[in-house]
Amino acid sequence: MVLIGVSLLVFSLIHLVKGDPVRLALGTRFSQETYEALQHRNGLDQPLVRQYFTWAGRALTGDLGVSFRSGDTVTSLIGERLPATLTLAFAAVLLALLIAVPLGTISALRPRSFVDRFASVISQIGISVPDFWLAIVLILVFAGTLGWLPTGGYVPLTEDPLGWIERLVLPAIAAGVVSGSVLTRFVRSSVLEAMGSDHVRTAQAKGLHGHQVFGWHVFRNALLPLVTVTGVQLAYLLSGVVVVEIVFSWPGLGQLALQAVRSRDYPVLQGAILLFALVFLVINLVVDLLYSRIDPRIRR
Amino acid sequence: MSAVPLPAADPVLEVEDLRVELRTPRGTAHVVNGLSYAVGQGETVAVVGESGSGKSVSVLAMLGLLPPRVATVTGRAVLQGEDLLTMSPERLRQVRGPGAGLVFQDPMTSLNPVLSIGKQLVEGIRAHDDVPKAVARRRAAELLGEVGLPEPDRALDRFPHELSGGMRQRVVIAIALANSPALLIADEATTALDVTVQAQIIDLVERLQADHGTGVIWITHDLGVVAGIADRVLVMYGGRCVEDGTADDVLERPAHPYTRGLLGSLPDLAAPLDPDGRVPDLATVPGLPPPPTDLPPGCVFWPRCPVRSDPRCETEQPPLVTVGPGTPGRHGHVGRVLEHRAATWYQEGTAR
Repeated sequence: MVLIGVSLLVFSLIHLVKGDPVRLALGTRFSQETYEALQHRNGLDQPLVRQYFTWAGRALTGDLGVSFRSGDTVTSLIGERLPATLTLAFAAVLLALLIAVPLGTISALRPRSFVDRFASVISQIGISVPDFWLAIVLILVFAGTLGWLPTGGYVPLTEDPLGWIERLVLPAIAAGVVSGSVLTRFVRSSVLEAMGSDHVRTAQAKGLHGHQVFGWHVFRNALLPLVTVTGVQLAYLLSGVVVVEIVFSWPGLGQLALQAVRSRDYPVLQGAILLFALVFLVINLVVDLLYSRIDPRIRR
Repeated sequence: MSAVPLPAADPVLEVEDLRVELRTPRGTAHVVNGLSYAVGQGETVAVVGESGSGKSVSVLAMLGLLPPRVATVTGRAVLQGEDLLTMSPERLRQVRGPGAGLVFQDPMTSLNPVLSIGKQLVEGIRAHDDVPKAVARRRAAELLGEVGLPEPDRALDRFPHELSGGMRQRVVIAIALANSPALLIADEATTALDVTVQAQIIDLVERLQADHGTGVIWITHDLGVVAGIADRVLVMYGGRCVEDGTADDVLERPAHPYTRGLLGSLPDLAAPLDPDGRVPDLATVPGLPPPPTDLPPGCVFWPRCPVRSDPRCETEQPPLVTVGPGTPGRHGHVGRVLEHRAATWYQEGTAR
């Protein structure tokens, strides 16, 4: 249902945008015959409703059409780009969690301490800083001035593990800072809330060791809502790393989608956006399934 | 009666001049102000008073369960010969459980919703007794059977949300009893339960108490419960003990105007109707307890007292003094006469 809605919306929006893909593909000098032939070949002379159903029907069978520009199938184009985007999004979320969980937890355990104030300021900045600006600053400092890391690009892990890591670090930071800041605040409030609950007092009253009280009765309970929020952040990153991908010339889906917009490459754009929607749904499904595994109240 | 007075055994808990101050945004709150009492072996002491009188805070303070950042606790609380207030955090941890078990008010929130009943019992047992998990599990099942949970073995793998309120409270009691505590503290343990379940829980505690000789502190504002179970009653108001004595003395011959007000506000189902055929209005104690940040200098009850007349009421704190002949003690106080004391300037005999 959601996917049908998204596909319809995307289809209409794309066709609302001015610009003729055939004209863009042909350049400035072409004959009327070639123009019409190309339009016909891509089915663009058909009424829009018909175009949608043709496309949707094929999409159901896994055929997302062919790129106007390169002539490659959309599925193969997406398939090429997907690993890079997945890598970046997962790295960013991982980084965000690695920072957010300890920092948020310490802040909650020592409210109004130095660490808490520090974390609060940093996360406020992190939420406010635009990712493209951060990306550029990171490049300037670490790739430019210090020269520690490359400015961008992507190599598969299997080819060059070290190069993979080197190229991943800066984009992951740029993409993960916002999520990290959001998650830090979330972990803090979540742990604080768990600490205040009555069952923690029961746990203390039965004489558990401090680490048991924290691990089993505070942290474990605080973790549940964190799973949901992390899922949302991951979904957001998978579809939202466009800007970071472009600054770091990271060959992911975001870049593909942007190129498709520029050249009015409808099939590619539709395919990419459909995939973003699909990813969002899949992540939500995974979160729900995971939840039923870790929260006994939802089981059955 | 008995010719040879038996030597009184040492009390399980002896509280002396317990004071608790909490730092609040509105200033320092004096929530417990010089509380002293003792609980003998197998004895049930009921602590009564309205919300905010310091009943719960006083026991939480003894067991170090108040946030140290906010609370300052002074005085002495000697449990089985050791002062809880000066012991090391590790020793205090060891005492929580085997020394004193706590049952809290709301069974819906006092269990961890995401851990099984078995896990919550087993971790409590193993925190004090280094036994294999299987042994602890067996003991946990026995405990659940003892508190009257049906199918105790299967209940171990259940989660709190799968049980009713009464069953959950039995689990909470099982947790509190897991390490055979010398003292059981029930903090409004039956307030959230309906009356039949309440009666079952009270029976359960009384039976366990008879079997194990546990001392019980029963914190409540339900005077009906007090009459049923308490050996002694301690009435708290404004963080102070305003009256204490055996249940008979306090409930039948209340000396403090506040106790009288409390007892007077019990609904009397046998009361005659008004001349115009209506049920008479419920008697209340007018006014509100004083804010603990701003206690009156004299008697804490002075601002609400219906019989204040003595010039000292407003300026001088009345001491806790003997007001009646007292009653011979039972449980843990055999051979001793238990005093009936009240802190009031009001004198008019103790007849109600």
